[in-house]
Formats: sequence, structure tokens, C-alpha cells
Amino acid sequence: MKKMVKFGLAALMGASMLVGCSSSKPAAEETASKTDAEQVVENGKLVVGVTDFAPMDYKDENGNWIGFDADLATAFAKDLGIDVEIIEIDWDNKILELNNKSVDCIWNGMTLTDEVKSSMECSNAYCNNAQVVIVNKDVADKYKDTESLKDLTFAVEAGSAGEEQAIAYELNYTAVQNQANALMEVAAGTSDAAIIDSLMAAAMVGEGTGYEQLTYTVGLNAEEYGVGFRKGSDLAAKLNDFFKKCYEDGTLKEIAEKYGVQASLIEMK
Amino acid sequence: METFLQQLPTVLHALNIGFLQTLKLFIATLVGAIPLGLLICFGSTSKYKIISGFFNIIIWIVRGTPLMIQLLIIYYFPGLVLHNPVWGGSETGRFMASALAFIVNYACYFSEIFRGGIQGISVGQDEAGLVLGMSKVEIFVHVKLLQMIKRILPPMSNEILTLVKDTSLARIIALQEVIWAGQSFMKGSQGISGEIWPLFFTAFYYLVCNGILTVVLNRLEKKLEFFR
Repeated sequence: MKKMVKFGLAALMGASMLVGCSSSKPAAEETASKTDAEQVVENGKLVVGVTDFAPMDYKDENGNWIGFDADLATAFAKDLGIDVEIIEIDWDNKILELNNKSVDCIWNGMTLTDEVKSSMECSNAYCNNAQVVIVNKDVADKYKDTESLKDLTFAVEAGSAGEEQAIAYELNYTAVQNQANALMEVAAGTSDAAIIDSLMAAAMVGEGTGYEQLTYTVGLNAEEYGVGFRKGSDLAAKLNDFFKKCYEDGTLKEIAEKYGVQASLIEMK
Repeated sequence: METFLQQLPTVLHALNIGFLQTLKLFIATLVGAIPLGLLICFGSTSKYKIISGFFNIIIWIVRGTPLMIQLLIIYYFPGLVLHNPVWGGSETGRFMASALAFIVNYACYFSEIFRGGIQGISVGQDEAGLVLGMSKVEIFVHVKLLQMIKRILPPMSNEILTLVKDTSLARIIALQEVIWAGQSFMKGSQGISGEIWPLFFTAFYYLVCNGILTVVLNRLEKKLEFFR
């Protein structure tokens, strides 16, 4: 008898768990009927997923997020009439973070690759970028064109635009965790060269940086930065309008000059 | 050397903030996993097959899969599959998800240690207690509990020291614990980039923390030596 009671209780618990799950469904559908922009405004904050990536997103001495992208995101949220919350994420998980709704957009000097465009709702490009080759200063003279790169071993960020270039040029490369690790590989001598973003190279390599012994030589391709939202989000269109407005009234240029990226800015039409 | 001294305060500040997260996760896990482990232990040793079977399957799944994957599932499953992002994106949400994953994971390991501790006590003590007219709960609390604690202390110490280091796994869902903080200076943060020594520094934090824990746990073990 006792056994029966226990079994009954267990079954009841299981059933109530199922009910608990199914009752949460209508709530999810309810939120789905709102557009992404409406939902974000209702939440009262735009959650921006970033990584520590000077000069786009980085922390000042007080631990506040600053940078070209961080300031732009703050201005965009203000334009929507809401607050901004900047959250550091693992770059590998950026699409997961978006779809998980733990962040509302990825705004972090993101190259608009085919993969990015197919998995996110992207804004118009706002910044130019290139993939450049990083080598040690003392051998830089030997590698001035793409033909000379064939004998080098490369380190590139896995899944990055740099890796795409390495494949396109049929270079001998190792995929590492991120662009910074790629630089470390060159500094440590475990790889001869790395391929990283030109904006990052400008900030991290050469005189007065952590990598004074390195320099960049060949530019492999031209590409553009954009902001990524959840697939189907209407926020991308809203941001495009905002970009246009800011470009016309000069705020975009003003912020760009503050972080020294004005030369890379794209005209917004 | 000069730049090192200039960078040191910035790095230590960042590591301190990171280590605070590590400590918080460690303490939350211990506080949650010890009672939950005891509960699972009772469940898995239940004389009702259906209950013990249920808990044994849970223990098998949790101990048989990597904690890193459990972290990813607990954090991303609600939003991606159920479309109900219960955790939110903030640091607090990430901490709560990590704490849940660690508590469940460690509770399952603890429960097996507890089981060993309880089953190692001779049946004679149960029988003696019953003869004296004690209830099962009384026998557990007044007779067996302290003996169990004494027996499980060495294996528990092992798990506790491992837990301190395992907390670093939470960085997979971007919980900014001490290793995340140290590694950020490799990637470039607050004007310091391409430096590996901050990451090596994090090792000292673990070393000191585990040193203190070892002393405390050894003392506790000594205290319990008055009976065998």
C-alpha cells in the first residue's frame, strides 16, 4: 500500500512538472507577438554584448565601458528612450547569447561575414576594416606582398575573417582562440605571422603598445563592421535610421574622432 | 620592471574582483550542495526501488557528463529552446545559472561520499539503537551523523579543494571569475595587452585559498579524532 502511495506521489510530481512547463508557453508566445524593438523598450534597457576590444569597446580606469562602439550604443539606447547595459560575453557564443535573449545586440567591431549575415539581423556597415598580416619588425621587409607569405606559418582566430583570408590565400595556418592569442603566438615565436583586424592592429601593435616588436605589413582584403541583432529584429532598421541621423548631424564623426577611428568611418546615405 | 610595478595595481584590482566571484561561487556551491547531497544520498539509498532508481539515474547523468556542458545547458537551454530566458544577461543571472549547475553537480558527488560514510557504519549500531527504543531519525542524528562526518572528511576535503579550482569552468558562460580576469590582460584590457603574468598570478590566489582551506580542514579532522 505504502509503495502505491509513493508511486502515486511521484507520478503527481512528474505531472505537475509537465504542467509547469506547458503553462510557461503562452507567456513565451505573448512576448513573441511583440516586435523586438517593442520588447526591448518595454524591458527599459538595451543589452549590448561586447568583448574587451580597444578602441571599440573597453573599460576606463573606473571600470566603465567606453570606446567607439560603446559610446554609439549608449547614444542609440538614449535615442530609443531607454538605458544601455553593456555585458562582456564569450565571442564564440555571440549567436547563442543573442538567441538566448541574454543580450539584444552584438556591437563590438564585428566584421560582416557571410556567416554573421546569415545568422543575425545586421545593420548597415558603419566602419571600414581590413585583414592585415602581423610579423616581427626585423623581418617585415621580406614580406611585402601576398606571394611572399607562402612559406610562413600563421596563427588566426578560429572562425574569424582572418581565417577566411588564410584559407583563400592557401596559407599554412593554425586556428587559435582569439585575435589576441594569435598575436601572442607571433610574439612568442610559435607562429611566424598572424592575420588580424587592421583597427585592432593599429591599437595593439607597434610603438607604445604591448607588442612593440611586431608590425603589420600586407593588407589582405577590405571589409566592413556592422551591428548584429536577433534574426528578424526590427531594431536593425531603427539603428540604420539612427546612423543616418547621426552621420548628418556630425555626432558619428565626433565620437569617431574621440577614439581615432574617423578615417575608417563609412558614409551613411 | 618599472612597467610591471605600474601595471601591478591595475591587475591586482581586476584579479581581486574576479576572485570575489570565484569565492562567491565556491561558497554558494558548498552551502547548496551539502544539504542537497544528503537529500540525494537518502533518495539513492531508499528501500523503494522507484525512488532509489530515480536518484541513481540522476547521479549517473550528472556524474557522467562534463560540468562544462551542464553549465552551457543550464544557461542557454531556457532561452534557446523554451524561449523563456529566465537567467537574463547580467552578471547576476550568469552567477545564478553557474551556482545551480555547480550545486547539482557537486551534490551528486557529495551524495556518493555521504553514502559511503553512512553505509560504513556497522548495522549493529542501528540494531542497538532500535533495541533502546530510538527512532530511525534519532539514530541517524544522535548516533551515526558525527561518525559519518568523521569518516567523510578526508574525501570531502578532496572535493572541496577541487571545487575551488573547478569554479573557473563558469567562464564558459562568461562569468567573470579570476581566470577570466587574468586572461583579459592577454587579450588586452585597460591598456595592458599581451601579458601572461597576470594569468600566472591567478594561480597564487588559488594556492593561498586552498592553503587556508587545507589548514582549516586538517584542524577539523584533528578535532574529530577524539573518537574512532
